[in-house]
Amino acid sequence: ATRITGEDEAAPLRDYDEALDMWSDFQTKTQSLSQSLSSQLRLILTPTQSTKLSGSFRTGKRLNIKKIIPYIASSYKRDKIWMRRAIPSKRAYQILLCVDDSSSMSDDERSSSGRLALESLVMVARALTVLEAGQVGVLGFGTDVFVAHALADAPLASQDAGARVLQRFTFRQEGTDMVRLLRRTIDHFGEARLRQAAGSGGEDLWQLALILSDGLVQSRDHARLRPLLREAMEQRIMVVFIVMDDARESKKGHSVLELKEARFGPDGVPVIHRYLDSFPFPYYLIVHHLEDLPGALAALLRTWFAEVNS
Amino acid sequence: MDEPMADAPGAQVKVTFTTTEADLQLPESKRQLLVPADIRRYGLSRVLNSESMLDTGSIPFDFLVSGSFLRTSLEDYLTSNGLSLETNLTLQYVRSLIPPVYEASF
Ligand SMILES: [Mg+2]
Repeated sequence: ATRITGEDEAAPLRDYDEALDMWSDFQTKTQSLSQSLSSQLRLILTPTQSTKLSGSFRTGKRLNIKKIIPYIASSYKRDKIWMRRAIPSKRAYQILLCVDDSSSMSDDERSSSGRLALESLVMVARALTVLEAGQVGVLGFGTDVFVAHALADAPLASQDAGARVLQRFTFRQEGTDMVRLLRRTIDHFGEARLRQAAGSGGEDLWQLALILSDGLVQSRDHARLRPLLREAMEQRIMVVFIVMDDARESKKGHSVLELKEARFGPDGVPVIHRYLDSFPFPYYLIVHHLEDLPGALAALLRTWFAEVNS
Repeated sequence: MDEPMADAPGAQVKVTFTTTEADLQLPESKRQLLVPADIRRYGLSRVLNSESMLDTGSIPFDFLVSGSFLRTSLEDYLTSNGLSLETNLTLQYVRSLIPPVYEASF
């Protein structure tokens, strides 16, 4: 993994052996979910059919009207007048898994958010690696953003590589700067797109960011996130926010779905809103149990691909 | 009161309300709340009394954080205890014993 900047070095790491145990535990625990996710994603991410008809052939699916006059004028010699379904263009993917490393993820009441996020990270990373869908990177964020695994790094296939990623997540950052995360994500993808263009030719590049977080963002940042989300969309970067919301019986009343916020109007009268009503991410999932994630993520991506292809 | 405008909130803290007063229990779905970080006892009382919370009109409340009465803003409490805005504070509310006349000056 790439560790260059000074600010990255300063953060204390989780013990390597502990991280190694975690990676293999989570991998075992999520194996079947991971397989389910990769088979669902295979159907979604691989283009199977092109809807476009094109070309000039002697036989085909539909007549090319523009070729009819020259065909007759050439005394029926220029007879490549048929169009065929084009071969689907090859797609390349770059996927960033952005994991919330802020201390709200390890709070007493919601201590499971951090664990759920790391389990999800292992499951999704494994599914994508098996799929060989493209480059997979891992970012951590809180007050700062760090690169736990760069897109250009070797695939996250070994337990050693996985453990080195998990080592970076200790959930001690004292803020959740989602604005900074989005800025860094867009810039990171911008650079990766340039490298990709220089390297190989003609592939259709898709960039996807999955944010794994408890969903607690300062509400004042919601407005500042909107222009960044627009910018991401304009650059064809898809951003999916996955809210880790543990729903065990002991956590009743702590779901982000129930969370309200109180604001005071200019008259000093408190007004209570539902927190998620101002949540700025257009694509978000709420995951109560790890088992929900493969199906929910696949359904969301399917919807999104249908939208961008229409 | 220099509370921020409703559409431009300042920093927020997540709190969880608890109480031992049987007649003043909040339903589970209302116990966790994001509140302005500069809120104090008076603002918290207004929130708790509001229609969407206890709907109790104007009972003055006191708040206990880790066993002691809250006498500053939540933000100041966090700062002086070395805690960040990421902290989920548990606030235990009790009927205030301080006479209402003191209430006007928070
Ligand atoms: Mg946080």
